[in-house]
This record gives sequence, C-alpha cells and structure tokens, in this order.
Amino acid sequence: MPKIEVSRQDLFKLARMEDPGDEKLADILSLVKGEIDSSEGDWLKLELNDTNRPDLWSVEGVARALRCWNAGAERHLVELPEPDMEIFVDAGLENVRPFVAAFTACGWAPDQKELDALINVQEKLAASFGKNRKTAGAGFYRLDDIEFPVRYRAVSPDTSFVPLGFEREMTLSEILTGTETGRTYAHLLKGADLWPLLEDSGGNVLSFPPVLNSQTTGRVSAGDSRLFCEVTGTNWETVQLSATILACNLQDRGAEISPIRVNYPEPYPGKTVVTPVIFSDLMTASMESIHRVLGVDISPESARKALQRMDYASVEIDGTGGTGGTGITGILPPYRRDGIHAVDMIEDIIISIGLSSFDPLLPKQFTLGRCAPIEDLADAARILLAGAGCEEILRPVLTSREKVTDLTRTPKTPVSIANPMTAEYGVVRNTLLPGLLEVESTSAHAAYPHRIFETGEVLTAAEDGNCRTEILLACLVCGNKADFGDVHSIIGSLCHSRAIRLSLAETDDNRFIPGRCAAISINDRVSGVIGELHPAVLNNWGISRPASAFEIALSALKG
Amino acid sequence: MTEERDLHPLEEKLLVYLDENGKSSDVEIVEKSNLPDEGSYRRAAEWLLSRELVREISRDEEEFVELAPLGIKNREAGATPELAMLREVERGARSLQEIQKNTAFDTGRWGSAFGSLIKNGHLKKDSDGIHLTCEPENTVFRKIWDLVYEPLAGGIELKIAQLPEDVVSLIYDRSPKRGKSRAEFSVNVLVTRMLNITEEGRIALRAAKENITIGAITPKVLAEGSWRSANFRRYQLDIPPSQIHTGRLHPYRQFLDTVRKRFIALGFTEMRGSLAENEFWNNDALFMPQFHPARDIHDVYYLSDGIKVPHPDRELTERVAEAHENGGNTGSRGWGYSFSRERSLQAILRSQGTALSARTLASNPAIPGKYFGIARCFRYDQVDSTHLPDFFQVEGIVLGEQINLRHLLGLLRLFAEEIAGASDYKFLPGYFPFTEPSVEMHIFHPVLGWVEGGGAGLFRPEVCLPLGIDVPVIAWGLGLDRMAMLAMGLEDIRDLITPDLSKLRRIMVQPDRLLLGKGD
Repeated sequence: MPKIEVSRQDLFKLARMEDPGDEKLADILSLVKGEIDSSEGDWLKLELNDTNRPDLWSVEGVARALRCWNAGAERHLVELPEPDMEIFVDAGLENVRPFVAAFTACGWAPDQKELDALINVQEKLAASFGKNRKTAGAGFYRLDDIEFPVRYRAVSPDTSFVPLGFEREMTLSEILTGTETGRTYAHLLKGADLWPLLEDSGGNVLSFPPVLNSQTTGRVSAGDSRLFCEVTGTNWETVQLSATILACNLQDRGAEISPIRVNYPEPYPGKTVVTPVIFSDLMTASMESIHRVLGVDISPESARKALQRMDYASVEIDGTGGTGGTGITGILPPYRRDGIHAVDMIEDIIISIGLSSFDPLLPKQFTLGRCAPIEDLADAARILLAGAGCEEILRPVLTSREKVTDLTRTPKTPVSIANPMTAEYGVVRNTLLPGLLEVESTSAHAAYPHRIFETGEVLTAAEDGNCRTEILLACLVCGNKADFGDVHSIIGSLCHSRAIRLSLAETDDNRFIPGRCAAISINDRVSGVIGELHPAVLNNWGISRPASAFEIALSALKG
Repeated sequence: MTEERDLHPLEEKLLVYLDENGKSSDVEIVEKSNLPDEGSYRRAAEWLLSRELVREISRDEEEFVELAPLGIKNREAGATPELAMLREVERGARSLQEIQKNTAFDTGRWGSAFGSLIKNGHLKKDSDGIHLTCEPENTVFRKIWDLVYEPLAGGIELKIAQLPEDVVSLIYDRSPKRGKSRAEFSVNVLVTRMLNITEEGRIALRAAKENITIGAITPKVLAEGSWRSANFRRYQLDIPPSQIHTGRLHPYRQFLDTVRKRFIALGFTEMRGSLAENEFWNNDALFMPQFHPARDIHDVYYLSDGIKVPHPDRELTERVAEAHENGGNTGSRGWGYSFSRERSLQAILRSQGTALSARTLASNPAIPGKYFGIARCFRYDQVDSTHLPDFFQVEGIVLGEQINLRHLLGLLRLFAEEIAGASDYKFLPGYFPFTEPSVEMHIFHPVLGWVEGGGAGLFRPEVCLPLGIDVPVIAWGLGLDRMAMLAMGLEDIRDLITPDLSKLRRIMVQPDRLLLGKGD
C-alpha cells in the first residue's frame, strides 16, 4: 500500500477547508480509501489502500478529492492551447524504453517546500506506479534552458555528457557503473545496444532516462516558474497517466499547462500523440443496476450529484438503461483510469453517499450449515486421541529438507519451493513426524511421559508431478518407558472406537527399529506405518528418551 | 467447632502416647511413640495444640555454640589469626606487611585481626611500628581458644550459658545470622518442650476409640458393611491439588473449531481446498491481472519445476483470459494486456483463501448459497514475532439473486457480533482487486482499540461471469492468527505453533469466549 507524507498546512490549504483534527480526518479519508499512518506536528503520513489510484499518491490528489467532495467537480486540462512544441522520437528505442510524454507548466513559482513536495510526487509515482522507474519515470527542467524541438534519441553507450551532481563528462556506460544511481537502475537497460537520451536541438543533453538528468539543464530551483516536464517508460498507459496526473497537480497549484506533440517513427502504431493525454473513460449504468447493487432506491439526480462530488468530468442522466429505463453515463476525470466496469462507477456513488447511509440487512433465504466430511472425521479422531490422554500439536506446513530427509530419514522426498526465502522453510511437509520429533527435541524439560499428536495437511506429488493435499494423523509417545505397545494401544483403541479392522504387517522403514516397525492396514488397506523410532533418528534430533509413533491417512478412519 | 473434626491418625497416635505416659518431652515422644518420624510428630503436635487437646507444660530454650567456616579454618590452622598475630609481635614483628608474609592466613584475615586487636587495646601502633600492650596469655582470644576451640575439638556440646561474659559477647559478635560463610561461630537454639494431654484431649481420644473412623473406603469396607456404624474421617479440603497433564486439543485448533462451529450455525457450508494451487485459481480466476504487484515472485512461493496442479477446464481458461484482456462478455473493458495461459499453470502455494471461493463458484454452487472455509495460506515474509511461514484465513461467500450492498453490511455486522463478539464496529471503503464495491470492517477491541475485522465486497462481474455465476456474490475474508493471539493472550505469533510442550501447556484457552476473549 502506498504511503505518502504531506504537510497538513499544504493539504488543507489546497483542500480549502479547516484542519478538522486527526479523528475527523480519519473519517473523511475513507473518501480516498486512506488511513492516517502517523501524525506529528505539521507532518501527516497517509496510507492509501487503492493501488489503482496513483492520482491520490500526492498531497494535490488527496486535497482535490476532499475539495471536490465539498464543492463539486472541477474542470481539469480543458481548453489547453494547440501544441507549439514538439518531441521527435528516434527509431531503435522499441525494446528499451519506447514511450515519452511531456508538457510545460508556467506561471507557478514553487517555494522550496512546494518544490520538495513536487519532487516527492515525481519519485512516488516512479517508484510505486512506475515499478521503480521501469514502466515510467519523470523529470523536471527549466523550460527556458531548452531549445525545441527536443529529441528522444537512441544513442550508443559511448555518448557522453556531464550528469547532474558531477563536474566532468561521463559516457553513459561509465554512469551506469561509476555512479550509485547508475548502478541502481542499470538493469533497466540491460541487453540493449542503444540507450535513451533526451537532447534539445542545440545539442544540450537534458537527461539519460531513467537514470540521471544533466548538470546543465536538468536542475530546477525554488522560484522557477517555467517548467518542462517529461515522463519516459516502457508502458504506454503508465507513461501517459503519470504525465496527466503531474499536469493536473501542477494545474491545481496554479500553473498553466501547454501540451507537447510527440512524433514517433515507424513502426510505432500511432504516429503522433499530443500529451498530456486527456483520458475520458466512460461508464454507463442503468438506474436498475445501481439499485441492484445498492439495495436502496436513489433518484438519478442524487446519483448524478454523488458522482459530481467524486469529480467526474461529466455525468449525464439518459435512456441508456438497456430496456429503455433511465441510466447514468459518467466520464471519469482525466487523471483516473480505474473505471473499467459499471460497478466501478457504482462504488464511487456508494463512497460519495457514505457507507454509513446504508442500513445493514440480513439475507432472508434459508441455507444449510454443513461441516466438510473430512473435518468431521478429523474432529472425531482428535477427540478420541485427547480422550486417550494425548496432547494436540500444531506445526507449520513449511519446513526444511534437513528436518524431513536428513534428521527424520523420511523415505519420500518432499515438494520443494523454487524461490524459498530461507532453507528453513524450503519444502512443503509430506509427513507430520518431523514436526512431532521437533516437539520432542525441544521439550525435554516438560514433565513426561509425552503423548502428542497432530492432524494436518501435507502435500504429496505423484510420479507425473501432479500434487495433492492430504490430511494425515500422526501420534508419538516419548518417555523413559515408551515403547511400541503404547502407540499400538492408542491406534488400537482408535480403530476399535470407529469399528474398523486394524492389522499390522512387519515392514522395513529406515525411521524405525527393524523388527519393531509395521505397515498399518485398516480394513485391509495399507494406510500408514507404526514403530519404535530408530535410535539414529532420536540421536539426529537430540532426543534422549525412547519414542514410538504412528502415522496414517486420516481418511482411512472412515473405514 | 474443634470437637466436630475427627482425629487424624497422627493426632490419635500422639494422644494415645500422652494418655499412657503422662507429660513427655519432644525427644521422648519422637523416640518412643508410634509416630513415624519427627515431621509427623511436629505436625500432629501443632494441630492438637491449636485444638487445645494437648497443652504445653514447659518450654526450655538453650543456646549451643559451634564452629562456622572461619572457625573451622582456624582450628585447622591451629590458632586464630589474633592469637597468631600476638605471637608474631611478641617475636619481634613490627609491621602488618611483615606479618602478612606468614601464609597461615590470607592478608585480609590478618588485616581484620589487626583491626580487632587494636580496637581491644591489645596492640598499638606508633612511629616505630607495632607494639604489644598486653600479656597475650591473658587476652580474651586466648580464653576463647581454651574454652571454645579446645572443648569443641574434643566433641563436647558447649552451652553458651557455661561461658564467661567476654567470651560470649565475642561469640555473638562473630556469629552473624547473614553471611554465614564469613562467620567464625554459629549459635544454635534448641527448644525442649514438655507436652501433656488435656481433659478435652482425653474425651476426644475416648470418642475416637469408641467410634470406628474410616479413612480410605476399601472394597472390604463396602462388602462388610462396616461403614454403617462408622464415622468417615473428614478430609482437609483446601490443600492445593497435585498437577496432571491432561490430553487436550491444541488451543489454536480449539479457536479454529469455534470459528467453524459459528459459521456452520449461521448456515454456511464448509469448503476445503488444496495447499498447492496454480496461478489460475489463486489469481487469474479472481481477476487479478498477471502484472499485479501481489503476484510478484517476491510475494508468492513457486513450487519447483515439474510440480503441477491439475489444469483448469480449457473453456473456462478462455473465458477468464478474455475477461482479463478485454472484458469478454462481462461488460468490462478488461485490463488490456496479453494474458499468458502458461503463467496460469504455474504451481504455487495458496496465497489467499479466496482461491477456495473461486473453485467453489466454478463448481456449480447452490443458489442461494453460503460457504466458508478455513485455509492455510502462504506469504513471502521473514518469520518473526508478527509473521509465520503459513497462516490461517477464514473466507466466506454468499450467493443469491437479491444480494446487495446492504446484505454485505448486514453479514459483516453478523460476523462482528456473532463470531468476533464485538459490540462496536465500523465499515470503511476498501480496495481488493476482485471485489467492487469493497468494504473493510474494523471492530473495537476493549484493550487494543480498533482492529481489522476483515475485508469484504461484492465479487466483480469479471470474476463471477467467467466462472458461470450470474447472481451477485458477497465475499468476505479475514486472517485469523492475530485474532487468535488476542484470544489466547499471546504476544509472539510464533507461540501459536510452539514446539515447546511446557509452553504449550501454559497457554490457556476458553473456547466460549474466543476472538475478543481478552478483556471481554
């Protein structure tokens, strides 16, 4: 979940409201699916839960949502002038960083605090929405330093310029190896022969996206009121939406936005794109479908008002209801692309009206409550075992190959995880015995005898690789006099209580002492194993008293 | 009330002895009566004295002196450091340093001996050094050697009362109650009591002899019917019981059992699923785009190569793929990317309980229908006091023609009240990729304040329609580990699955007041 830090003063000034205090603010923030993470003096840390709303990851975005809910929809990026500046894109960037969007913002001179906020937004968008600058990353420049048209070039790694914060010219490959930022983002250019470079028509380098700006043009200071903003990246949608969000934010601050025409070479699909792109996603819902979701009748007019307070660019009441009924057509503001279905618009109506306005209701239709049969069986077995004096254990499903194979000598190999976090949790258990042995190895100080059991899920894989979840039941008795007879009696009484036939057939199993180990058959089907644990296994686990155990498939107890 | 209690067998033995022998001392009784040992005698005597069945006739306290660790060392050295020092000075030693070269005692003991000799006026120190100011043979240190060390060496019991005053006061000084390892002497008090039976004691004894008192009920007592004319010895009922370790169900499993029971009571049918899933059921069927951050390799455990989870139906895969790419027939414009069918088949460990719901929706569920499942899920977290390698989630769905937002809120309220036992809760808009609208419930915990009470919503049409469901579906889910910790009073999540049996035996659980058990 994205978290942002904002100045309260800035937030409420932009939202045009009094600071309501943290408690009330917490309620109001439900409008943006936000929570107060922490609050200290003028600084507020907000957590924003909607991962599809990058427009909210800035003080301008949150303030806009609060402002519009109080005062109604605003117009964003309308009546922009015709673009009179251009960017030309080189062929050869298709597989590295193909897309660029840009605009200029003039007439707003940020002070240092506002400039810091702007840089924060730029970084938050690149980090969270732009996947750490991969799919999109933005940059700001002083407009007056740039000679148009600008070229988004595909250049050789030997090209050189003076990067921001350095004194001398460096080649692009030097930047990737010799600077910290370079090393951080080098992987984004891996495998490409040509690398991206923004350059103006005077031959001045603006930046080496997405790594570093240039020392000459790539620096903005407090008080600069004429800015050039660009976004480059690998994902068209992310690049465009980032640029549009930044443009809306700057417009909210009081800047005038002028668009820029981006000219792409063959083989790009669209030849020219005017940016920022004014998105206008349209959603249509019949009043009937709105009622079906809400469970209450609201008038088309109140639906429209609700959406206007969510800053919809346009809301029309019309006859789109399918069967001739009334419907609502809403157009999202340009900074939002999260409306892909009518339900998304309906949720905006609900949020705008407020969840507390809806009376909770219980479904009236009768349904049957029923336990899963295998869980019923597990319960029966667990209660019988507890009655036999056994203590139930609960162990994690993830374990290590060492515990299953090396220490316990389990004959079958457990399914392993391809990307384990640590070897300690590198496999999925296929037996419960290592878990019970681990309990013994850590419980020597607990009063004996120990009679412990677990019923639990394990994962087994067949020859063909198909895997299956199974519930096993394992029981272990450990103490100075623990022997085969102890666990034999327990499974004997379990089978007797369930009226099923138990028989044992001597078998060889490395985990148990030869001649004291048997395959368990229940109603003549082989279902598990029982035996006195081999001293080598006890020794592996550091257990200093004899132990016996059995393990069966729980389903065998059905008979 | 004393006469109402019967005599304990030990009490009776002591009374019998006193009745037959008259007044007797402790030593006599322990040696000659039928009481098994001194401890039994003391207990019986205390009981009887408090019931006034026995009287204390006299009480003598005598003090005896014995050598403590320093005294024993002195005896081994053949002198006390004071005596030895007087001898050294007599022989011409003039400084403490000089004396300390003698290793019969360590420098510290020489030092303190020097201190007490100066203090007692036996030595003095001037510019020439140390001089004797006494006759060594007339000092208290000589007396104590002759009157205490020597007789004790001969095995004689030495009463304080027999010793001269100056010796006694030195003994008291040098037998502190604390720091016995640095003491020279110890003084022990021996108490000798004379007891006799009282008139009440005789009456009680007579009554006890006339009535047969039954202790343990034996089969013989039952068979002979001797209990008909007997008294039952009364037990002392308030002594602490001895501990037993009962067989019992695991506290967390009991918690989960309670959650299950309550869902079943509310008319939900239990779902079961698999620990391993493919990405199709875990994510794709839930309309989570394949580029969603929660599907990243750093958030999900992939199973090793060659491990498979059975493929989903081909037609179903196509419907889901279309919903992702362009919305298909769901009325959505989809996520607008190219869906990878291969990625769909990647086997992973279930990362969310909602996978159960997806499978249930695709397998022709009852409409109206209510389902729930408790599922073990896996997330990519470092194990610490707030994260386990796997955790339990409860997941519920409700299907029905008429289901809407108000029913969603109604069910959440039901869960808050019936399952969590909360009286205060609130609903907030939430975000989940598979539901719209989405709601988060927070419930009020009396100790911790607002805590998460689960995420919920109506499944998106892009989830339901490809799975063959054309009625609204409420979905609800909640991680249970934290709730269980609250109920069980645990602070480290790892204690939920502790392998330490003694720790497990200490975890208390009250299944009738789970979830909000603490501070309830």
